[in-house]
Amino acid sequence: MSKEEMFKELSDAIVSCKQDLVLAVIEKAKSEGIAAPEIIEKGLAAGMNEVGIMFERGKLFLPHVMMASGAMEAGVKMLEDDMPTDAPSDKLGVIVNGTVEGDVHDIGKSIVSTMLQSSGFEVHDIGRDVPLQDFIAKIKETDANMVGMSALMTTTMPGQKEIIEMLKEQGLREKVKVMVGGAPATQAWADKIGADCYAENASEAVAKAKELLV
Amino acid sequence: MQKMLVKPLQKLRNSLSEVNTMTEYALRMGDGQRIFMTKEQILTDLQEGMADAADLGTIPDLSGDELDKLVDIITTSSRMVGVEPGMEVPVTHDISTIRIDGDQGNSGVGIPSSRLVGMMMHERAFGADTMELGHIDYSYKPVKPIISQEQQTMEVCQQNMIVPLLYGAMPNMGLYYTPDGPFPNPGDLMKSFKIKEAQEAMEGAAEHLTRDIVWIMQRMMASGADGINFDTIGAAGDGDMFASLHAIEQLRKEFPDIYIETGMAGELMLGLHGEMEYDGTVLAGLWPHEQAPLAAKAGSNVFGPVVNTNTSKSFAWNLGRAVTFIKEAVKASTIPCHVNMGMGVGGIPMLETPTIDAVSRASKAMVEIAGVDGI
Repeated sequence: MSKEEMFKELSDAIVSCKQDLVLAVIEKAKSEGIAAPEIIEKGLAAGMNEVGIMFERGKLFLPHVMMASGAMEAGVKMLEDDMPTDAPSDKLGVIVNGTVEGDVHDIGKSIVSTMLQSSGFEVHDIGRDVPLQDFIAKIKETDANMVGMSALMTTTMPGQKEIIEMLKEQGLREKVKVMVGGAPATQAWADKIGADCYAENASEAVAKAKELLV
Repeated sequence: MQKMLVKPLQKLRNSLSEVNTMTEYALRMGDGQRIFMTKEQILTDLQEGMADAADLGTIPDLSGDELDKLVDIITTSSRMVGVEPGMEVPVTHDISTIRIDGDQGNSGVGIPSSRLVGMMMHERAFGADTMELGHIDYSYKPVKPIISQEQQTMEVCQQNMIVPLLYGAMPNMGLYYTPDGPFPNPGDLMKSFKIKEAQEAMEGAAEHLTRDIVWIMQRMMASGADGINFDTIGAAGDGDMFASLHAIEQLRKEFPDIYIETGMAGELMLGLHGEMEYDGTVLAGLWPHEQAPLAAKAGSNVFGPVVNTNTSKSFAWNLGRAVTFIKEAVKASTIPCHVNMGMGVGGIPMLETPTIDAVSRASKAMVEIAGVDGI
């Protein structure tokens, strides 16, 4: 089976929400020596993109998206140990990453955390539905120089703006770069609330973080 | 110089006069707002609405002749229109039982009357060909504690009326979840990522719903009902449709002559469960032309397809889209299709009392272009 065929099989397994098949194909891909970031990007993430398109067109629904996300999460977890990491002394920056309060969406934010970590950043993933104050506390605790905030709903997006205001109040805004993401977020939204960057996906998040911190 | 300017000025005058005389037709937006459009704008919107349906349902476009006919129907100068002689179709009416007595909150006109009077007015004065008896709560579950009252009313109505009289209500599977019913609320479970538990709650609720519908109809049939109207199947997602199809199957088996009308809630079967199947077909994501064969397979006599109205689009856009969907449903259906026409469905604007200009035009289009068997 060629690499492309394997990525297609993996992507199809995500679309059909079959976690067991996802893990089996990853195992096969690993044994073929395919690099973990490539498996994530061309297999798992490609499948999730397809899920998103089918959701928009009424071919897949919320339970499917959640099951596919679960399968992807399990796949990413399986690949975690195979992700290339730089020595701690070479870390490119310290990033606090989380999904803002009121929003339980986890998968996109977790993928961003994994990709950032594998690219050489020290990442503190503080989870989902995180109280806004906890972002500030973690930034202080870890002496972070970047914060990533995810919001998957228009109703929780204002949380991103509030955290920026809190950073200003605490005198941290100059020191901490701000990245926003999530389905309803856009570059225009990032500009409006005064964030330093917006990333549409995990790869872009890594590129933007490097641009700002390295 | 002056001579050189004469020609362009004349040209400008001509084109301005063309603009001034370009006829505009009175239409509505999907929310009922009055708008004016030229014939070209109407055609463009019809084509865009049609393309949207064709794209979503992977179904054919309307033909050029059909689009021309839609333009004619929309631009007819009369305030209301009717079908051509010989193309008349049966018309049935849901909840007309309380249409007279009810206030605007349930689309009524607030004239004190009994349910029997309401139905007889529809039968004898308004031309309804079949009717249904329904209760103000209008869901099957709340009928259980008042079943004796409903049986008695059915008997009295049957003694006074001639047209086929069904019993009708909404399956409304949402009533089986907390806080209204015994099963945990799938919405809450989903938020906690408990997908399996949410699906199990829907499966349990579907079983109860099927059981209740059959139980109620056993009693209504014993009281002389001619059949059952399922109003808004799928309002609570694919589980709602699953339960309804199984109830239809059981009722057909128990009452071979029962008349079953299977009306849908919306154009797309929402996959709240996502994996429920009927006769090997996944219910989530079905469009009207895919729903129709399943309704027939379960044992329905009539299928009632629905296309929802987009309130931000014009009547032309909505009608082009609705006719495209319904035409394909009629083609795919092995049983008669009685399209749902009313507020917010069938291309008609979303108004509590839908306007006669839009209702009559949309109905004519459904009969003469989509080929529906009834309304």
